[in-house]
Amino acid sequence: MKPAPLDHAAPTTVGEAVALLNDPEREAVALAGGQSLMPMLNLRLARPDLLVDLTRIEGLDHIRESGGWIEMGAMATKRAVERSSLVRERQPMWHEATLQIGHPQIRNRGTVGGSMAQADPAAEYPAAAVALGGEVKAVGPSGERTIPATEFFLGYLTTALAPGEILTEVRVPVLPPGRGWAFREVCRRHGDFAMAGTAVTVDLDASGRCTATRIALFGVGPVPSRAVEAEKIVDGEAPGEEVFERAGRAAAGAIDEPLADVHASADYRRNLAAVLTGRALAQAVTRAARPEGS
Amino acid sequence: MTVEIPKSIDQLPNPEPRYIGKRVTRREDAALLTGRVEFIDDVVLPRMLHAAILRSPFAHARIRSIDTREAEAMPGVEAVVTGADALRWQRVSGSSPDGWGGRCPAVDKVTFVGEPVAAVAATSRYLAEDALERIEVDYEPLEPVVDPFAAMEEGSPLVMEANGTNVMMHRVFTWGEVDEAFESAAHVFTERFRWNRVGANPMETFGTVCEWDPVTLELTVRGAIQSASFMGLGRAATFGLPTNLVNVKANAHGGSFGGKGGGRGIDIAAMLSRKAGGRPVKWIEDRVEYLTSGGSQAWDRHYEAELAVDADGRMTGFRVKLVDDLGANGEGYGSISAAKPLTAFTGPYTIPAAGYDLALVATNKLPSGPYRGMGPPPHFMVLEQLVDIAARALGVDPAEFRRRNFIPPEAFPYTIPSGNEYDSGSYEEVLDAALALAGYDDLLRWRDAARADGRVVGVGVATAVEPGVFDWNAYATVGLPQTGVPEGATVSFDIRGSATVRVGFAMEGQGQYTLVSQVVADYFSLDIDSVRVIQLDTLAAPPSFGPGGSRLGVAITGAVLGACERLAEKMRTVVAGLMQTTPETIQLSEGQFGIPGVPEAQMSLAQVAGTMLARSDLLPPGMDPLPEATYVWTAPDRTPADEMGRAKSYLTAAQAVHVVAVEIDPDTGQVEIVKYALADDCGTRLNPVVVEGQTDGGIAQGIGAALYEQYVYDDEGQPLTASFMDYLIPTIAEVPRSEKAAVVTPSPFTALGAKGCGEGAIHTTPAAVMCAVNDALAPLGVRARETPATPERLWRLISGARGNAAESEPNRREQQ
Amino acid sequence: MIGERRIRVSVNGTVYEVGVEPRTTLVDFIRGDLGLTGTHVGCEHGVCGACTVLVDGLAVRSCLMLAVQADGSEITTVEGLEGPEGELHPIQEAFREEHGLQCGFCTPGFLMATYEMLTDDPKPDEDEIMEVLGGQLCRCTGYQGIRRAVDSAIDKLGGTPPADVFGAGDPGEPDDPDADAVGAAPTGEGSHG
Repeated sequence: MKPAPLDHAAPTTVGEAVALLNDPEREAVALAGGQSLMPMLNLRLARPDLLVDLTRIEGLDHIRESGGWIEMGAMATKRAVERSSLVRERQPMWHEATLQIGHPQIRNRGTVGGSMAQADPAAEYPAAAVALGGEVKAVGPSGERTIPATEFFLGYLTTALAPGEILTEVRVPVLPPGRGWAFREVCRRHGDFAMAGTAVTVDLDASGRCTATRIALFGVGPVPSRAVEAEKIVDGEAPGEEVFERAGRAAAGAIDEPLADVHASADYRRNLAAVLTGRALAQAVTRAARPEGS
Repeated sequence: MTVEIPKSIDQLPNPEPRYIGKRVTRREDAALLTGRVEFIDDVVLPRMLHAAILRSPFAHARIRSIDTREAEAMPGVEAVVTGADALRWQRVSGSSPDGWGGRCPAVDKVTFVGEPVAAVAATSRYLAEDALERIEVDYEPLEPVVDPFAAMEEGSPLVMEANGTNVMMHRVFTWGEVDEAFESAAHVFTERFRWNRVGANPMETFGTVCEWDPVTLELTVRGAIQSASFMGLGRAATFGLPTNLVNVKANAHGGSFGGKGGGRGIDIAAMLSRKAGGRPVKWIEDRVEYLTSGGSQAWDRHYEAELAVDADGRMTGFRVKLVDDLGANGEGYGSISAAKPLTAFTGPYTIPAAGYDLALVATNKLPSGPYRGMGPPPHFMVLEQLVDIAARALGVDPAEFRRRNFIPPEAFPYTIPSGNEYDSGSYEEVLDAALALAGYDDLLRWRDAARADGRVVGVGVATAVEPGVFDWNAYATVGLPQTGVPEGATVSFDIRGSATVRVGFAMEGQGQYTLVSQVVADYFSLDIDSVRVIQLDTLAAPPSFGPGGSRLGVAITGAVLGACERLAEKMRTVVAGLMQTTPETIQLSEGQFGIPGVPEAQMSLAQVAGTMLARSDLLPPGMDPLPEATYVWTAPDRTPADEMGRAKSYLTAAQAVHVVAVEIDPDTGQVEIVKYALADDCGTRLNPVVVEGQTDGGIAQGIGAALYEQYVYDDEGQPLTASFMDYLIPTIAEVPRSEKAAVVTPSPFTALGAKGCGEGAIHTTPAAVMCAVNDALAPLGVRARETPATPERLWRLISGARGNAAESEPNRREQQ
Repeated sequence: MIGERRIRVSVNGTVYEVGVEPRTTLVDFIRGDLGLTGTHVGCEHGVCGACTVLVDGLAVRSCLMLAVQADGSEITTVEGLEGPEGELHPIQEAFREEHGLQCGFCTPGFLMATYEMLTDDPKPDEDEIMEVLGGQLCRCTGYQGIRRAVDSAIDKLGGTPPADVFGAGDPGEPDDPDADAVGAAPTGEGSHG
């Protein structure tokens, strides 16, 4: 399996990259870590005229904390994120999500921006970003804009990125003290795409009841989605198995048309959504109860 | 001279072998570890071209026309072939069963997705793939048939119209008084099972470099080929070439497990070469091609089986009805896997009567090919589940139930109802060793305590006979009537006394080059590193099949020992002549030939060989002066199959017992193997390191088949498992560490008492894992009857048992 | 026809300057243009890991990179592990002693992944080992011998970085103007249009 003929450009600035992607004469596609795009090129499922290689652009791989956010350049590798003590300590869900992605050999090249832009329904970062209330920064011909994660994933492999726009940064809020979190998925083999997954954050109020519950499902539907009904079931309740199971069932019911493939049917994905949501809520609550939150 | 091949290690002339039977580090490894071994894709020849194959996107379609002119004009393209070339140069291919072969590329119609319709040779693979896109094929799609039961019905689309049916073969075998056994049984247990398609998937796909000279018609084939001679004979027959025009040089290859495939790839590369004026043409199968159109798919089976048990818990009859979906033709020899169960049909048990209703059915799927174990792995999964069903129903511990039905040691050699003869066995000893190693009683206590806690846990004990040293007569029932699988070796010394062994097989991973070196080194008291093993190509090599059917370790040991015996006899004759005594007076001891007890009357190997080569004038008149000897080993006393397929076929019967404990997450259906212990008996272990490695590999593949691997087709015959994201090979995370115990019951029939062990654990592992899974499910009153036992399948069973709202049978559209 | 790009790469310490088509994958470049066939191709979609090499010290799937992306990089392949006299590297020796290979086709990938892991951390814990090894497929060994080999390699190295075993340390900088550049092998399969 060899790629179809293509041209390759490696701009060193964002502006150059945007210009190349907006060339009206050629169909151009952005190449980040290549872990998703290269298989498609090898299989000739993707046949762009031009690959705009983002890996030589300076200044797109930062990992820093600023104003209550963890800011990650779109070209920061998952390996760098995995090893970042800043991320591990200040946004442990994002760290956990990173560990679930493939294997170290994949994470060495795969990028933060690449996962978000690829928008695979089973990808970890989109779900974590949705659960955490993250944002992405995109730069295109008309300039820079910020898009909340909850508005970024529009459909199967489809994001709000306009043609010719690239992601430059992904940012997620620092985990507030006392907030509980959990990130769980079920795969066939460790490192495989998730058949279903849940990203949960929850706070406990002064009386020990759940509040500000956020549940994001991934792998179940075409996009990561908040299970709003399930969140309402949990908010205001004392933590307990019965509440969490009810929330799980509501989360499962929230997906209109679950995905179905050789690994999992729609029914089974719904079941996993329910089970994982229940388990994630229970785990998140134990983390919330501990002052350190981890 | 009659050659007596030593039947045990202590019959070797060397009383203290340093290598045979010991844990010997492999000689192959340094070259492999440093990337020095030449695999087929490493081969670079002058003016070599690269091929790419255009494949049918339809499972069933007529080819109305094909236009390759644009492709031929593309830069770098040197040759294009289509079915027209196949029609011109090929005969209809041999097949099993007979009459189910065709030509490749396809001529009139395609019968499976991925079937070749054209091929291009260009100066790079990249350019060849570009050129494929310029070939225009006009297809007329036909209705495909993808379900074997539908294929058997009147009015079904026919895969091969000329045959008038999709039933390639339907035979009913009865061995012993099987109807009587079922009629009079105290208990009959019946169940249906589904074993889904799985296959070999070695890490290296198939590849070849072919040179077919258009003038002399000499065809030279290099490739990742498991059996060079078998492949060469097949190509000669396909092209109608005299066999001495075909020379096969098999490369060291990256595993095969029977399922390397490749015959048709060679045919295509050869025709491209001929069209390109004889230039070498390389074709490397990519992974998608391997998964969807290669040698990779096997055992697509629907079973109905029943077990007759008397009032004392003795099994009296075993009947199997098998519908085997062989795919679109019989060229892949997948039928062999349906015949091989005859060689061990009743497992290690004294079941006196058996029946086999076997239907081989054609559908518009990839033609089925061989895979390690060649059929018994699914067969034993079925038998062992039935044994557990019986044991559970009768309230007998599953290990105990098996013990009571074992063939006792004194009964060997033992002929089973389906005709094969087991050479030897100590089944109870193996069972005891496995149970002890597993801590069986503690495991059961753990299980019962966990169950009391509401956990879904199970312990499985499974056993199988692992037939070794195949013979063709095992497949007589599917149209392969011959008998005899020879393996030859030549052992020689040069003028300085350095030892070289010439063999006809390539390295595949089982360490046989090391084995050969062990044997020669110990026979002649040499250092193992001084023995050189050379592979000859088919025109030069002694008869050789190579690895397959767990034969090569036994066969090559027999061949090498036979050659050593002959050579030693020759050299004793030379020394006797030089010392003016009789050959019987001369002894080989510690690498020296001479008169025992007379230090002055000793000659080293180098002296003897040097004399033979340099001073043939000193040798007895008429004596062949070369210090080398060849021996061709074939299994003794094999018999032709009778009308019920009964034959003494596979020479050896290894046996194993595996004990597996699992925990199932009832909410997700995920299975964790928490313990794996086994005992196995493959006779004399010529290199225990290699035996254990083969066991480990077989376990991993067995776990893959039981829990992870499946080829899936949709209703249109489109393969849905076309990459490694979908066909799930176990990683290290999915394969638990296993504990192993060894029992040694030598074979009375083989060199040094070794039994074939290469296929090994894959016979037993799927059965053991499914037994454990079903033990876990038993308290819920449900049973897993389909492999792989995926999380979804188990979740459905468990949910159904708990009366959940979820369907217990999957919606057909979402069926995996 | 898309024109060739000239790239400059250092592979196992030797600097090469070669023209490549942009679509040539890194593994095809290494195997075909450079003739270093120890790295193998198993799937071309990034799952099996047989093609694993080190690029600037990181283990990557070379089937998922283009050769042009390696311009200016240091690449280490299995051919770079052995000593100057052909001595096996301790990691290789460990695989040999522990029967960590059978057909040997996946082995270079495992060696390079292990090499990176032990460069990064001479005493990886259980999870780390399983993470790295879990990213490589083997069909022959069932992984038990491979695991023993990796455990043994950790002992053998005893904290010495894998690159320092033969005293070589870092290969030369790829943009060292005095380094001799070596062209590609004159015949090779693959990439040229």
